[in-house]
Amino acid sequence: MPGQKLYPRATVKKIVKAHSNCNVSKNADVMMFLDYMLFLQNLIKEATIEAKQGGERGITARSVRKVTADSLAKFRG
Amino acid sequence: MARESRPPDATPTRRASSAEPLASITRRSIFQTPGNQTPGVPRLQGLSASGRKIAPPTATPHARAAFRTIDSRRAAILTPHRARRKSLREVRDSPRDFLLSLGRVLARNTEVITTSSSSSPGGEAGRGPGSDGAGNDTTLSTVNVGDDDDDEELPKRPRLSLPIDEEDDDDSDDLQPHRSVVFDENDNFTMQSIEMPRRAYSEQPGGRLSMGSVRMSDYFNTNDMLHSEDVGVDSGFFPPTAVLDEGNITMGVQDLSSPERLDSDLVRRGLGRESDFGIEIPVGEINESTFMIAPQVEDSPDRPSPGDAEPVYDDYAPLVDQRSDDFDDAELGEVPALEEEPMIDPTAALDEQTELESALAKRAAVRELGKKPIKVSKYGIEYPSLPPAVVKRLAQNFAKASGAKGKITADAMKAIMQASDWFFEQLGDDLQAYAKHAGRKTIDESDVLTLMKRQRQINPNTTPFALAQRHLPRELLQELRMPPPVVPKKRRKGKGEGDDEIT
Repeated sequence: MPGQKLYPRATVKKIVKAHSNCNVSKNADVMMFLDYMLFLQNLIKEATIEAKQGGERGITARSVRKVTADSLAKFRG
Repeated sequence: MARESRPPDATPTRRASSAEPLASITRRSIFQTPGNQTPGVPRLQGLSASGRKIAPPTATPHARAAFRTIDSRRAAILTPHRARRKSLREVRDSPRDFLLSLGRVLARNTEVITTSSSSSPGGEAGRGPGSDGAGNDTTLSTVNVGDDDDDEELPKRPRLSLPIDEEDDDDSDDLQPHRSVVFDENDNFTMQSIEMPRRAYSEQPGGRLSMGSVRMSDYFNTNDMLHSEDVGVDSGFFPPTAVLDEGNITMGVQDLSSPERLDSDLVRRGLGRESDFGIEIPVGEINESTFMIAPQVEDSPDRPSPGDAEPVYDDYAPLVDQRSDDFDDAELGEVPALEEEPMIDPTAALDEQTELESALAKRAAVRELGKKPIKVSKYGIEYPSLPPAVVKRLAQNFAKASGAKGKITADAMKAIMQASDWFFEQLGDDLQAYAKHAGRKTIDESDVLTLMKRQRQINPNTTPFALAQRHLPRELLQELRMPPPVVPKKRRKGKGEGDDEIT
């Protein structure tokens, strides 16, 4: 990871700009991506738990789909 | 004495004091009744019911008010059946109650008043004992005038104690709202005519508007096109009133603004405080909603609407659409909108149509290629999705951290990408809401911070800086010049004080 950029900043900006129809201030996208990372962390964690409970090994699409709604709801502002 | 200081300030903080008597009644019954019989009142002057010091007579009005609220809070905590009283308090705050109290003041000779006063011999203070205004008056009079009031008080006292004898203090409070509610049900007209339309406007514009449009088609087939706009607004109003006084439907519709409605508006402005907020805003929005209605009308054929209405809309639609050229067309943006637009507005729609067609064509082409589909947001803006490599890397890291093997199947990856797309959509929505609320067209760091706070990602224990440090590389950290620790600290302080005061 070191030496490699964490994420394409312009892309994140574009995505949010498209969804919100607002401009995005200069460094706000960093916080947004931080938020996204938290979301992803939560999603993966829940998916892992779900997968373990379902007796699967590793994260599967099913487990991810199952916990997606909950995670999204948790990150509803 | 807290209550001694009340009279000068009572008027400004009327609401607070009107909520108070619930708590103060029991206090008085405990402490003051002896005070009335004997000159022992002065003994209590230094201490309130809760035993803490009272505002000195030299205290500023604000200080005294603060003391009073603190006292009342304590009393509320110490008194039993607090929860029930709270619920009662909420009931009292409803606009209906303001109307009720107004009714009691304006028309003294109605039956309800006589029944309520019948329990007490008191002549001039014969209004309902539990009504907010009256309740305040009793407390004021008992405290203010020392000895002379005893005569007056004795007749009032039994009124308070009657319910006590029956069961308890609470039940007297319980009974009263019940009666008022019953009273309201008898007077259905006023209640519904006032409440229903407003609420519907503020909360569920969609359903109500569609209703309004239906009304419009019913009544205004033959009317001018020019009036259609105004009428559309008012028709949104009328359905409830029309249901109520069926005879007046035509009257109200022709006048466009019925006198009754205006009167009720005025009365309400004069009366309620909290309720004004809920009500006035929608009243203000009515004018704007004229523009909101236009797209609705034009949409309505889309939905399963009554078949009779449709031809009428087709006549109206062109005019309406010219007046308001909206984003809504862009919002509709998808396939069904395309079919409609040509007949609605030929010129404006053509451009959008071509745009959309090109976009759709692009999308189709890309899909055929089988590569990244170009997604279009609800504002008609294309957006990319995050590169899967980035997401995968993050996901693998997190998976390892949460104890699974860092392996993620392609299917799971697809699901994760889908989830993150949804997440960004939601993020954009929320951030837009915050920015707009702050009156900005630009999403700021503060908006994101607010969002994270609301997501409970940031709390007093977790500063955004700590989060950033944990997750972000140093280059990005440097981009974040963060002042934030100030904000949570302030909050914590405020909360701490509040807690100290209460306990």
